Amino acid sequence: MKIYLLTGFVSFFSGFAIMVLEIIGARFLARDFGSTFYVWISQIGVVMIALGAGYYIGGWIADKIPRVSFLGVLLVIVGVITFLIPNISTPIIEYIVQRHPIDKPIPEIWQRLDPVIGSALVFLLPCLVLAMVSPFMIKILSRDIKNIGKISGFIIAGSTLGGIVGVFASGFLLIDIMRISSIFKVVGMLVVVLGLFCQLKCLKTSEK
Amino acid sequence: MRFKKSLLFLLCLALISEAYSGQIVFETTSRYHNIRVVDEMGVRFLSFDGSTETRMSLADSLKGHFEYTEYFHLVWLWNDKLTNVLMIGLGGGSAQRSFEHYYPKLKIETVELDPVVVNVAERFFYFKKGENQIVHIEDGRQYLRRTTNLYGAIIMDAYHSGRYGSFVPYHLTTKEFFEIALSKLTTNGVIAYNVIGTLGGFQSDVVASVYKTMKSVFPQVYLFPARESMNVVLIGTRSSIKATRESLRIKATNLLKNKTVSFPLLLQRVDAFVPVPPAGWEQYPILTDDYAPVDGLLRPFER
Repeated sequence: MKIYLLTGFVSFFSGFAIMVLEIIGARFLARDFGSTFYVWISQIGVVMIALGAGYYIGGWIADKIPRVSFLGVLLVIVGVITFLIPNISTPIIEYIVQRHPIDKPIPEIWQRLDPVIGSALVFLLPCLVLAMVSPFMIKILSRDIKNIGKISGFIIAGSTLGGIVGVFASGFLLIDIMRISSIFKVVGMLVVVLGLFCQLKCLKTSEK
Repeated sequence: MRFKKSLLFLLCLALISEAYSGQIVFETTSRYHNIRVVDEMGVRFLSFDGSTETRMSLADSLKGHFEYTEYFHLVWLWNDKLTNVLMIGLGGGSAQRSFEHYYPKLKIETVELDPVVVNVAERFFYFKKGENQIVHIEDGRQYLRRTTNLYGAIIMDAYHSGRYGSFVPYHLTTKEFFEIALSKLTTNGVIAYNVIGTLGGFQSDVVASVYKTMKSVFPQVYLFPARESMNVVLIGTRSSIKATRESLRIKATNLLKNKTVSFPLLLQRVDAFVPVPPAGWEQYPILTDDYAPVDGLLRPFER
């Protein structure tokens, strides 16, 4: 029972972190790419790519390297990256915007694709690793193979619930009371904590 | 007899309600808005997502506009050698048409995000692109950041709108935005900035925050609350000389006399000048890229 609680907890907060990054990220990108429709399209599209790839790769790794501590290491790395987003992303996005010849309108195609590239360079990796959490958690619980339907449903629902809370918390609360850079820092710390959490003994012992 | 009377009454009612509901001339949905052009009792309205952006008299396209757009003419008071102006936000082009009419030699450039809005302005609001009337389809801030042009005046009249109110897009309210704008102004350059709200009432927290933010970048900031609508036009200048109502009146009188400005209501608009900052403006935050809660109407600071 305890293991359900722990895996549910990790799934919930991975989903939460993904959606906070998506919503706050759109705000973050608007300062350089404008508050265009394409910023939203990019952000939603890139996060969906991260989810799809993260689920697939996460599932594959969970079978090859079935150690939750490995996932924990990846989470700590992307947690640190997320923490540093306000510092490291400025030159990257600056380059994307300023590479176009000055005084000429940016070609239509790049007006659409620049925010996609910017969003991908900043948010793809953290969201991809966070998406790997779900298949890993399913793997941990899957000793109990005859309940695998219930188990996968539980984990997916848990991370989705976290995502729902993340969306509303971001848009209705966080954006009004916190600095954007502080939000990234807090989410980064949360992801590091999740990574350390994966090193817990009870999660490890249940691997076999 | 009574039957006839009530029939007449119903007929009147039908006519009135017909007149009030207006006639939809054109409707489309672009990337950004549901756009509607409605004619009602001789006035043409442009609405985005149900909120009115532009009014124009069908008999005279230079009449019927929102009064607040007239405050943009005040930029001349600080820069009487204006040769070019950048306008952010097109809508139905009230300010663009008015500036073209009164200052035919002025080069007017407009940045508008939505290409469909430009088509609608051309088809239904007598807006005409030309040598002195140029449109860039781009985000206002991105355009300003990348351009090497310097402008005598920047006029900012862009906002997101909907049934629940209008909000200035957050990235056009921050200190970083005003710093970019300042760097694209000529020596006597002026920015005129339309904020939806009032001093001390509706959305006064947004007005006060934008005031404080502009004050952190521009040496002088002046307030001109519109009389007929809930708009405040803020004017920021590169010049650090402080103008008073009297000095502005004298300047306006001279501009009208030597025919630099032919806009007839200049003096009346000067009179809207409010020489004191918004009440309690110090308690509001300077808006930055990192922290600009303009959608939440800055509610945490209302208390």
